[in-house]
Amino acid sequence: MLTVGALTRKEVGARLGGAGLFLRTGPFVSCIRSNSAVVADGLMQMYSAYPVDDTGYADFHLHLRQSTGWRRWFRPQVHFYHDGEAPFEPMPASHGFAMLEWMLNWCVSGSAHAYLIVHAAVVEKNGHALMLPAPPGSGKSTLCAALVSRGWRLLSDELALVGLDDQLVRPLARPVSLKNASISVMKAYAPDAQFTRAAMDTTKGTVAHMKVPDASVARAAEPARLAWVVFPRYQAGAALSLTPIPQARAFMRVAENAFNYSLTGARGFQALGKMMDGGASFDFTYSALDEAIALFDGMSEDRP
Amino acid sequence: MSRVWCIAPGQQLAMWGWDDEFVLYNDLSGDTHLLSGDSHAILTRLQQAPATLAGLVAAFSGGVDPDDAAELPDTITALLLNLQNLFLVDSRTAGLAEPC
Repeated sequence: MLTVGALTRKEVGARLGGAGLFLRTGPFVSCIRSNSAVVADGLMQMYSAYPVDDTGYADFHLHLRQSTGWRRWFRPQVHFYHDGEAPFEPMPASHGFAMLEWMLNWCVSGSAHAYLIVHAAVVEKNGHALMLPAPPGSGKSTLCAALVSRGWRLLSDELALVGLDDQLVRPLARPVSLKNASISVMKAYAPDAQFTRAAMDTTKGTVAHMKVPDASVARAAEPARLAWVVFPRYQAGAALSLTPIPQARAFMRVAENAFNYSLTGARGFQALGKMMDGGASFDFTYSALDEAIALFDGMSEDRP
Repeated sequence: MSRVWCIAPGQQLAMWGWDDEFVLYNDLSGDTHLLSGDSHAILTRLQQAPATLAGLVAAFSGGVDPDDAAELPDTITALLLNLQNLFLVDSRTAGLAEPC
């Protein structure tokens, strides 16, 4: 199996500049074209263990084109094209890799309706999946990154894919998006992990991505069954708190966090119900990552 | 004349329930509703057969505290009106054909 890491930087650049780099992430293949060095370097750094699919088929076609001409020198920008259309404003060229990540999310959340797509991180240990749905700023990605750095398998950082027919969570393990203060927190907490260069002053603040451990990438075809839904909230100085939520209320909150819940209709309702049945849900407040991880480690060991 | 209550035509009443709370998929609106155990009980009863308020009161008066029994018709009426607002139940005057 050919991986991105088996290609040289020159080969990656040639594919991006030619017919495209066909990158497999979870169940999807994305054809990525770009003349941006930031995009190419980011792919080399973050996606080295990911398969390159040479079948010629892609679910998504993305083109990130960096400015040419005089604009190449004056505040260079990168433009995003999807199937020939430019649905978004250009961004500074230094944001190229972050833009790629956001556009991949946009492609999945807008069209992968064979799944119920929940805005949530999902990690797994001992066969038990832990879903962390939460709005931006809740500490979801920081907690997810910390768990992954301590042996939990990453299934998703942003987009949890729940099979409509089998209610299993499908891995879509891509770099973990960290923002602002969480970047330095995770660099200190996981000093051996790899991070992209921070993209400054994006619409989401300062953004950097943390590389997914190879062990998680290697299990990209292995789904997991949900055991817990946890709504995390980081609060400086707060004591660890795990409060049970009635499952019907948790159902409603997960549905609110699903991009395509309404679109999937009765099938989405049944899939979510079956997924939640047999699981347990909690509100979770934390301030210390070690305490949080010890708690979840214990839960994963205690559950049969 | 008394009114007969029934499940609104087109509703399948797909539900999941845990700990006396239920979520229900509304086939007519596409919404999902969080329902109490009492609302669930009324829907389940009406799913078996349309019923008048008196019939529902009789059906549910068995386990009710005598002190609360007098309030049961008002309680059930309020629940029925709420369910009607959600297009989950409907009613007709007894003797008329539609919609129940």
